[in-house]
Amino acid sequence: MKKRGIGVGCMWYGIGNTGAPNPAGAFLDFLEDGTVLVLTGCADIGQGSSTALAQIAAGELGVNIEDILVVAGDTGVSPDAGATSASRQTYISGNAVLLAARQAKEVLLQEAAGVLGAAASELGLGGGYVWRGGERTPVTVKDILARCRQKGKLTLGSGWFNPLTTGLDEAGQGVPYATYSYATQVAEVEVDTETGKVSVLRLAAAHDVGRAVNPQAVEGQIEGGCLMGIGYALLEEVKVDRGRVGNPRYAEYILPMSLDAPEIHAIIVEDPEPTGPYGAKGVGEPALIPTAAAIANAVADALGVRFYDLPVTPEKILAALTAEGDHKSPDE
Amino acid sequence: MKPFRFRATVNGRPVDLPVDPRRRLLDVLREDLGLTGTKEGCGEGECGACTVLLDGRPVNACLVLAPEAAGCDITTIEGVAVEGRLHPIQEAFLEAGAVQCGYCTPGMILAAKALLDKDPRPTDQAIKTAVSGNLCRCTGYVKIVKAVRLAAARLAREEGAV
Amino acid sequence: MTGQADGKMPAVSSVIGRSCPRVDGADKVTGSALFAADRRMEGMLYARVLRSTVPHAVLRRIDAEAARAVPGVAAVYTAADIPGENRVGIIVKDEPVLVDDRIRRVGDPLALVVAGNEQALAAAMSEIEVFYEELPAVFSPEEAMAGGAPAIHGQGNIQSVTRIVRGDVDSALKEARAVISRRYTTQMVEHAYLEPEAGLAAVVDGLVTIWVSTQNPHYDRREVARVLGIGQNRVRVVQSPTGGGFGGKLDISVQCLLGLAAWKTGRPVRMVYSREESMAASPKRHPCVIDYTSACDGDGRLLAVKVKIVGDTGAYASYGPATLKRAAVHATGPYEVPNVFIESYCVYTNNPTAGAMRGFGVPQVAFAHESQMDLLAGALGLDPFTIRLRNCFRPGGVTATGQRLLHSVGIKETIDRARAKAEELGMLEGKR
Ligand code: FES
Ligand code: FES
Repeated sequence: MKKRGIGVGCMWYGIGNTGAPNPAGAFLDFLEDGTVLVLTGCADIGQGSSTALAQIAAGELGVNIEDILVVAGDTGVSPDAGATSASRQTYISGNAVLLAARQAKEVLLQEAAGVLGAAASELGLGGGYVWRGGERTPVTVKDILARCRQKGKLTLGSGWFNPLTTGLDEAGQGVPYATYSYATQVAEVEVDTETGKVSVLRLAAAHDVGRAVNPQAVEGQIEGGCLMGIGYALLEEVKVDRGRVGNPRYAEYILPMSLDAPEIHAIIVEDPEPTGPYGAKGVGEPALIPTAAAIANAVADALGVRFYDLPVTPEKILAALTAEGDHKSPDE
Repeated sequence: MKPFRFRATVNGRPVDLPVDPRRRLLDVLREDLGLTGTKEGCGEGECGACTVLLDGRPVNACLVLAPEAAGCDITTIEGVAVEGRLHPIQEAFLEAGAVQCGYCTPGMILAAKALLDKDPRPTDQAIKTAVSGNLCRCTGYVKIVKAVRLAAARLAREEGAV
Repeated sequence: MTGQADGKMPAVSSVIGRSCPRVDGADKVTGSALFAADRRMEGMLYARVLRSTVPHAVLRRIDAEAARAVPGVAAVYTAADIPGENRVGIIVKDEPVLVDDRIRRVGDPLALVVAGNEQALAAAMSEIEVFYEELPAVFSPEEAMAGGAPAIHGQGNIQSVTRIVRGDVDSALKEARAVISRRYTTQMVEHAYLEPEAGLAAVVDGLVTIWVSTQNPHYDRREVARVLGIGQNRVRVVQSPTGGGFGGKLDISVQCLLGLAAWKTGRPVRMVYSREESMAASPKRHPCVIDYTSACDGDGRLLAVKVKIVGDTGAYASYGPATLKRAAVHATGPYEVPNVFIESYCVYTNNPTAGAMRGFGVPQVAFAHESQMDLLAGALGLDPFTIRLRNCFRPGGVTATGQRLLHSVGIKETIDRARAKAEELGMLEGKR
């Protein structure tokens, strides 16, 4: 028989290292042709940080993303940005890039202020022009860059950001993170009581990321996290026997594959973080955190039997269903 | 062991070189021909990162010995774009956000190409089945399926326009 | 260019919040992105590391003479060849680059072989003789914490403890309408990124230059410089396109070994793990045992939680202390709980090292706190959404560590939106 169940999983996740300094730095060079070089230590491991950082620099400088080149993760040229971990890079390196961009931009705005007889604070950059109080001026960004160079001014910026935290005291009290991401996932499963197999049919995954710098990339994180969470809930386990990994091959360590992928509905919630770049927090890890919890609750809902031990494998389900037949041990 | 003459067509170009017959097609491509777009994820036919097309069929290049590929028409990821123009499948992967770390991507694209070459209007289930031998740890496959669907629609339109 | 034509200043939103395609996407769809294993250099050597097959032993001697004599072998290095400090680790420097005194896990690196081709490499590996004396080993935190257990790093096996105490849990438990206590266990998990660990090192213009698959090139630089005993400015680490990490490429894998080989031989050296080596030797997700008690009043409002988390960090600390600390901080879930007593233990064993993996201990505690929420809801006849909405943080809420949350507290909205989506899709039909 097939039994359907629904489960809810919620989570919170502190962005950055726990109660420890974890700064990131960035350098930026606004080149005289209007293109931009961003140097960052931030390692893009597929999550898309180089793209998000390019967008953040482009947003601040009013240029197209195509005009930004991000050189990332080369210690020969880029400053330390710390680890790509703790879902920290959009928030922390994002802020570092933003600050570097602001510093370079300030040089241009000061110069433009002289040309236009305006205060630098009234001016902005965008679309290749200098803007004043929301009106386009005839002065181009290239003009200003050329003037700066003629005067021997380089349009460089550097920035670094360290989230405001404190260590934890003896009683574990303190401010371990500057901000948190939040999520709720709802899982729908079908359990085959003959085979014990659990199929995840649908997932609704709502994630508060502060602000999605790149919504498609955020969805990609959520979808990938959900599938990894399915593996955690139902399939994956490193078998260790007297310290030795017993299944160090893909043939024996079973990962979710395309046919295991359910319908995943990624929902981006934006509750902006005032200290984040454009309000952004992070999503890399939150994506997977509530999935196994939601699935375990869905299985309990389907069967009336709860599992306290991950992964919830067909063997465990069959054993529990058999036991339930003899002496009842249903969910309370 | 005595090398044999490995003669084949790789990405439309004839190839003729002496190869140890115990060598895997994967090594011939990556090491001897410098076509490193084909990836090795497991070396035992479980991940699909090494997928290439052999006479249009997707195979795991880590499981094919060089002599078995001799005389074949081999397509690797380097041969998918034509004259510097991305193939619609490649474009669709970019647009749909189907690429994250990119390590599974060459194999995925070739598996998708093999599918679309014979089934231009696949269902989502057919797409999932076609890439079921290709593992991806990053994307959750959602955008990969979407990209293949998008590519199919584009190819159909191109077809119609001709 | 956006926004120009209509005479309005291009809004920041024209690029922020836009789904721009990946900046490295074109290279990745054409196969031209050079991952570390795709790199080669003139005169390049290949390296592989011999690993221990026993979990706990005193290393007596390594005899590599026969291996060195294999034709094509350039060098075989052991701990004695390391010019600088032979210990690495992000939080605690407790892990040898090549074992010098004691083997603490199956897979500990013992000797590094460098050769001109893969065949010579394989031949030399089988010629190395390792002499050791096995020690009693421990394979669970329970055994490791018991009195008289063999100490894996000299002192006791408890690497770190985190305690979070707030309010008065015991009296809250007495006043509660429902109290639920359960034990949860979670398994060890592998990152299984598609790209196995890989790197290429060469001395370029006097700099030890390492192209490597990594999540933290600047940390790698620090460690390589210390291990070689040279200035950080003499080491250049370039992150190659990295085929997934998920926390598993935060630790040192090939970096120091490659640096050593290139530095000593003066030649470019490449090292690529097989899938099996990657899965057998890389750090894992912490298996945890979580004892969780929650208590609520008649409306389902949480009054107290008491949580004990024990995580098996294996042979080396890696990111273990941070993982278990984070698990403790997040143990309440996104809920306001006035009384908490949370303890977490990071414990050494002779199991594979557990380090950072996507979520850092929080997926483990989330499984526990979310199961508890459903059990409480069941006990009071509440809907799972209702009990969560009743307890979730609001702006102004206070966490277990006493932090007041002021801004960007979106948990309630995520519950509402996820529920609305589930309703819209008909997922809740016949359920509530
Ligand atoms: S490398 Fe060939 S299938 Fe994995
Ligand atoms: S994109 Fe990383 S494995 Fe598929």
